[in-house]
Amino acid sequence: MKKLKFYIKIYFKILSQDIKSRMSYRSDFVISMIGMIFTNAAELAAFYIMFLNFPSVCGWTYYEMLFLYGFSLVALTPMQCLFENNWNLGGYVRRGDFIKYCFRPLNLFFYYFSEIFDIKGLGQLAMGIGTLVYTWHKLQLPVSPLILLELVIALVSASLFFIAIMNFAAGASFYLINTGFLIGTMSKFRDYAKYPVTIYSKGFRFLFTFIIPIAFIAYYPSLVIVRPDEISILTWLAPVFGIFFFYMSYKFWMYGARKYSGTGS
Amino acid sequence: MKTMKKTGKQYNKINLRAYGALMRSGIMETLQFRASAIVMLFGNIVYLVVIYNLWKAIYASVDTPVVNGMTFNDTMIYLVLASAQFTFMEARLVWLMGWSIQDGDIVVQLLRPISYEMYNLFYIIGQNMCSFVATFIPTFIIVEIVTHGAIPIGVNILYYLIAVLIGSLINFAVDFFVGTICLYTQSIWGINIMKEILVTFLSGATVPLAFFPETLHKIVMFLPFHAIYNTPLTLLIHDDLPIEQIADMILTQFVWLVIVLVIAKVFWRASERVITVNGG
Repeated sequence: MKKLKFYIKIYFKILSQDIKSRMSYRSDFVISMIGMIFTNAAELAAFYIMFLNFPSVCGWTYYEMLFLYGFSLVALTPMQCLFENNWNLGGYVRRGDFIKYCFRPLNLFFYYFSEIFDIKGLGQLAMGIGTLVYTWHKLQLPVSPLILLELVIALVSASLFFIAIMNFAAGASFYLINTGFLIGTMSKFRDYAKYPVTIYSKGFRFLFTFIIPIAFIAYYPSLVIVRPDEISILTWLAPVFGIFFFYMSYKFWMYGARKYSGTGS
Repeated sequence: MKTMKKTGKQYNKINLRAYGALMRSGIMETLQFRASAIVMLFGNIVYLVVIYNLWKAIYASVDTPVVNGMTFNDTMIYLVLASAQFTFMEARLVWLMGWSIQDGDIVVQLLRPISYEMYNLFYIIGQNMCSFVATFIPTFIIVEIVTHGAIPIGVNILYYLIAVLIGSLINFAVDFFVGTICLYTQSIWGINIMKEILVTFLSGATVPLAFFPETLHKIVMFLPFHAIYNTPLTLLIHDDLPIEQIADMILTQFVWLVIVLVIAKVFWRASERVITVNGG
């Protein structure tokens, strides 16, 4: 318990340094924020245009699909904000800069990720929450403490899946050289998370559920709210799977980091 | 007088050799990352599967096989090839320029006896050619197999190659323009993502332009971006277009190319002076 308190204190200390240094590039911050909102706005526009021409996708209406999209935006935010440093890992490892993280009396994983907090992810969070509230209203979903609790659990487990996927993709750079493209490809996969997994054939449903589990980023967890009578067993297992998958990715990442021996210079 | 002429000629010869060398270095560097090309191709194939399933589900929701003049096959081929084209065209020029501004490398590049625009252009052409062969052609072949030869093979391939060459030059000019903005903003990610979104959305690479509502479609046609993706892909997929229309499309592309090249060049010339590099 004392240790936890210590880590929380340290986290905010390291974080405030990062935010201070970011704030000295104010135009970069503003432009990045606009860029983030731009991205989401274009995706919404694509949705809108699609549904101008077609009434539904696999039985999913416009608002239900929008709900999935908003849900995925919120679920992707923790990775965007807290684990952003995954993107830099390949470069640090290749240049040998990663060694600096190995000399702190802190958990390596914790210290590495506490270094950067990506503020522009908050723009995405706002967009996501806005979309969720809007579609919640349009779909006339009930509001009760229980359903809100379910929503929070569903969101947390969904975000664990995406963080874990990215940890695996970034952690691969400890084992192989030049894996920058891997993390790029994996992060592209999140674009497919916003569609109901039922559109795929059996083989791909399996792939997106158990191998590259993007179906857990929006579809399975959000069933509990949008379509409570269609819930699959995987929806209930999502939190357990999420924690397990995240733990595995942590072990994979840490094992690679411990093995890391610098570039020799 | 005589000697001057000679030096001029020699200078041209050196330049040509330099361009060749730059192109080669672009190719070599891309070849270095073979694993990257394979993963990118894999990414394209997964994209193909996702698009196939998604649009199949979408088309299943309507009774007619043709929506806005596009069948399911048309839409799928269009989007998959647009993605493959994006993969080979996206040479991260904005990043390269942004980084060289941030770490000061740009000073060295500016001192070279070859202009900065040309330096980048030929390097990017080399890279683009390489990824065209490594990712676009395999994707094209896979699409051809999956759809049982739905893309006609004939003179349309030639039109496509011409249009895609002009398209990638327009893309280069847009990238170069956007990269120049980095001189002022010190922001790369934000600038680049906005460019990427604008270009892919307004060029019809995310949703085919045929599905756009009337007014938006009109606006998009007044912008240069449709010439990057929509024109080459339309020429590739449809082989029944009248020759006047083909000529018109390529001519429009060409006019846009000249316009964006001039704008990019003028903007660069005006901005070159503001470069500030910290430290030394």
